[in-house]
Amino acid sequence: MRSPVFPIEWGQLAPLRLRARTVAEGVYAGPHRSVRKGAGVEFGGQRSYVPGDDLRFIDRRALLRHDKLMVREFETETDRALWLCVDATASMAYKSDKAPGAKYAYAALLAAALSRVALATGDPVGLGFVGGDGVRPQSASAGREAFDRVVGTLESARATGDANVDAGAVERAVAPIARKARRGSVIVFFSDLLDLPSVARGDLVPLGTGGRTLIVVQVLDPAEVDLPFEGSVRLRSLEGDVVVEADVDEVREAYKERLAELTRRWTRDVEAQGGRLVRAVTTDDATHITRSIVRAIAEAHA
Amino acid sequence: MSFATALALFAAVLVAAPIAAHLLRRRRADEKLFPPAALVPATPPTARKRSSLEDRFLFGVRALSILALALLGATPFVKCNRLSLTRQSGASVALAIIVDDSLSMRAKVTPDGDTTRFERAKRGAKELMAGLSAGDAVAIVMAGAPARVALAATTDFGSVNASIDSMEPSDRATDLDAAMRMAADLLKGLPQLDKRVVLLSDLADGTPAQSALTGSGDVTLWAPLPELEAKGESDCAVVRAERAGDRVRVRVVCTPVLSVAKPSESGVHTVAPVEGPSAGRSVEVRAAGRVLRSTQLSASVQTDEVTLDLPGDTANQTLTVALTGKDAIAEDDQAPVSALGAKLRVALVVDPAAVHVETGGAPPVEQALSALALDAESRPLPTVPDHAEELSGYGALLIDDAPGLTPEMRRAVSQWVEKGGVVFLTLGPKAAAAPLGAGFDPLLAGVMHWGETPVPGIDPASFPLLGGSAITFADLSPSGRMTLAPETLQNADVLAKWKDGAPFLIRRPLGRGAVLALTLPLTTQESDIALRPAFLALLDRFVRIARARGGAARVDAGDAWTFDGVKEVKVARVGSKGPNDLIPIPLTELDQRLRATPPVAGVYDLVLDGEHETRVATVPEREIDLRPRALVQNARDSKLGGSAGQVDVSSQIALALLLLATLELGLRAYSKRAE
Repeated sequence: MRSPVFPIEWGQLAPLRLRARTVAEGVYAGPHRSVRKGAGVEFGGQRSYVPGDDLRFIDRRALLRHDKLMVREFETETDRALWLCVDATASMAYKSDKAPGAKYAYAALLAAALSRVALATGDPVGLGFVGGDGVRPQSASAGREAFDRVVGTLESARATGDANVDAGAVERAVAPIARKARRGSVIVFFSDLLDLPSVARGDLVPLGTGGRTLIVVQVLDPAEVDLPFEGSVRLRSLEGDVVVEADVDEVREAYKERLAELTRRWTRDVEAQGGRLVRAVTTDDATHITRSIVRAIAEAHA
Repeated sequence: MSFATALALFAAVLVAAPIAAHLLRRRRADEKLFPPAALVPATPPTARKRSSLEDRFLFGVRALSILALALLGATPFVKCNRLSLTRQSGASVALAIIVDDSLSMRAKVTPDGDTTRFERAKRGAKELMAGLSAGDAVAIVMAGAPARVALAATTDFGSVNASIDSMEPSDRATDLDAAMRMAADLLKGLPQLDKRVVLLSDLADGTPAQSALTGSGDVTLWAPLPELEAKGESDCAVVRAERAGDRVRVRVVCTPVLSVAKPSESGVHTVAPVEGPSAGRSVEVRAAGRVLRSTQLSASVQTDEVTLDLPGDTANQTLTVALTGKDAIAEDDQAPVSALGAKLRVALVVDPAAVHVETGGAPPVEQALSALALDAESRPLPTVPDHAEELSGYGALLIDDAPGLTPEMRRAVSQWVEKGGVVFLTLGPKAAAAPLGAGFDPLLAGVMHWGETPVPGIDPASFPLLGGSAITFADLSPSGRMTLAPETLQNADVLAKWKDGAPFLIRRPLGRGAVLALTLPLTTQESDIALRPAFLALLDRFVRIARARGGAARVDAGDAWTFDGVKEVKVARVGSKGPNDLIPIPLTELDQRLRATPPVAGVYDLVLDGEHETRVATVPEREIDLRPRALVQNARDSKLGGSAGQVDVSSQIALALLLLATLELGLRAYSKRAE
């Protein structure tokens, strides 16, 4: 059965392009090695040409042989490609009354801002999704149009999919990144981590190995943090078809403890691989969170 | 089931309405989308628990209310295991409930049970009452001899229930025929079309060979409790225990023993002796729980007189006689020893020459008294005694066609009658031809005249006391009859009349006693009255009257003592705790005569104008026969009703409905206050 598709409520987080620029401008991008591929580098493979690619890297032989524009990629020790992987499953479409936008919208804002920061320093940015509808993964690319492509892809996505049911969703999203992300690349995974099956952690955490840096950004709605309901409520999850009746006043503390335990578990596993987990609430200042992510990247890299 | 009933029952489906209301009212908790719902512990919320508790009570109450309403609308007749009657198209009924309170009803319903037949009959009557409704009429007749009306037909069920509650078991004999007649009479003229005589009896009236009991006319006989019917159980009873000096004479009666014919080896059927209820049992004389004397009964006693010699130091002790072992009725296995020679003695002044019969033997009246076995001892006297003391040993005196009485005789007889004696004067031509100075005053006043009778016999309807046999006096064809003086009739009851209305038999009270005067002599030369069956009934009545007047210190339980000329009467039964344990017996007044009826066997203490007397009531011998009388076949028809019959429970359901409504109001008030 096809999972329901949820449109994303962008709310105060739209338009993404402008918001992301604004956030990015407030972030200090620390000095790091050039990510530009240059002379003396090892051949890193070919890929299809996308508009905006440096014409100097077009593989003429491949063009003559296959009549297809291909770009030669080189990998140097200074490769700091930024891979963004955004959870676009159904739960990310959630937005409570107090939140400025859906969790996906906030995650997209952070992702776009990070891509802006990375692209501004010449690092290529790739993009992947877990679940989602209308999403198109992007290989890491740099250039002036890369930001627009990232933003356009993020904006066109709609939330769908149940990671509980589709246990391979995370693996499918992570596998291409794991293949392409070289040593020194940074992988930032945006998700609420709430509905991911336990195997997802096994699929995701290895991204932090092989000289790569894995940053997991847990994006939560303020309602998910506080459980603000009162009295007897019947709670239905967006994934997993879980329905719970509870007197919220009685179970609030227990819920918070379980949520904290979930976060702790992820933090432990991610940090075991040298990565970092950044927790964000959609009401948090996106600039501050982006800066925290950049800082986490620096810390992990150090 | 009528259409209205079905429709009303169909309304029971509305019981779903409270369920629907409950589901609608039971608002679900607000449902909210919440991605981390799996992290929220599920709890039964407090508010919801309270709500559901209240809902459940209210739901139950409302559902029951609707069911009750549906049942009420269906005019419910539910089947249940209590005794109930089936109505013909729901019409009102008139019931005459005959409750047998005789001795045999003291037997247990089941041999190893605790409930007596009388208790079951009483409960059955109550159960019947519970199923009656407005418009029904009920009368109650007691079948213990003599049969009597406990309550005339009434629609006041409170009175009926009170009457049933006041019923007590007795040691009376059974008179089902009279009870049936009374019950049928009580139902006559009632407007209800469905008239029934409800017979709650073990049918053991001592006459098992009599014709089957049946209803009469439009009155249906219904015997709804088959478990009450006697099954020919074994029983022995001490019907009499009298002390004469240092001896105690005990009369023991047992239920009849049936002989069994068995084929012998030679093929000839022989009657084998069968052990009866007396087998292995003994008669004991006890004083203060100590056995003084004992003797073994033979194995097949039906009627036996046993004499036991007492020890010398028992003169002032209260003695009882008891049978060992167990039988159907425990209450009749023991009797107090009466210190009196309690048998009624009847003195007969009959001219044997005048009343002889061609077949020889004693005069017919003596033969009749002997044949009747009335527990009376008849003594022929050559003449009427001149002194009252000579008559003091007798309770009754029969004088047949005496040619008047001398003044001394008249004085002696009248004094004796005034102290309670009963004299029966049969008047013939000799009495009419009394010489000068002889007469019957003050027994009978005025001048009597013997002459031809214009009619051959009596009007049977005028003599109901003789029952069905009165018809045999309808064609006596006597040679003449005595005409009594008008002054004699002034204060006399005419018990029977000739067909032309002239008195045939009268009764005059005199002091504590009575004078009976028959306008025919017993001589067969003047009439054949002494040879008619009704004559036996007449003698029986005479002996009963004498016994009731105190001529016998011993009567059967249920027979009345009558007190004429006594101003102050107190009768009390001596209880089991001794002479001071006196249980008062109520007095009744009938025809301006005080009467007391001992209901149970035992010793009675009487105070007559300040003088104490001790009398004894005994178990009627004919009651010691537990073979049931036959019933008409449809008397147990299940169409009339039964223990699984239909009972109208409208009133109970209406009451339940009221309680439910009250409960709901209470619940609502409680829940509001709790909120």
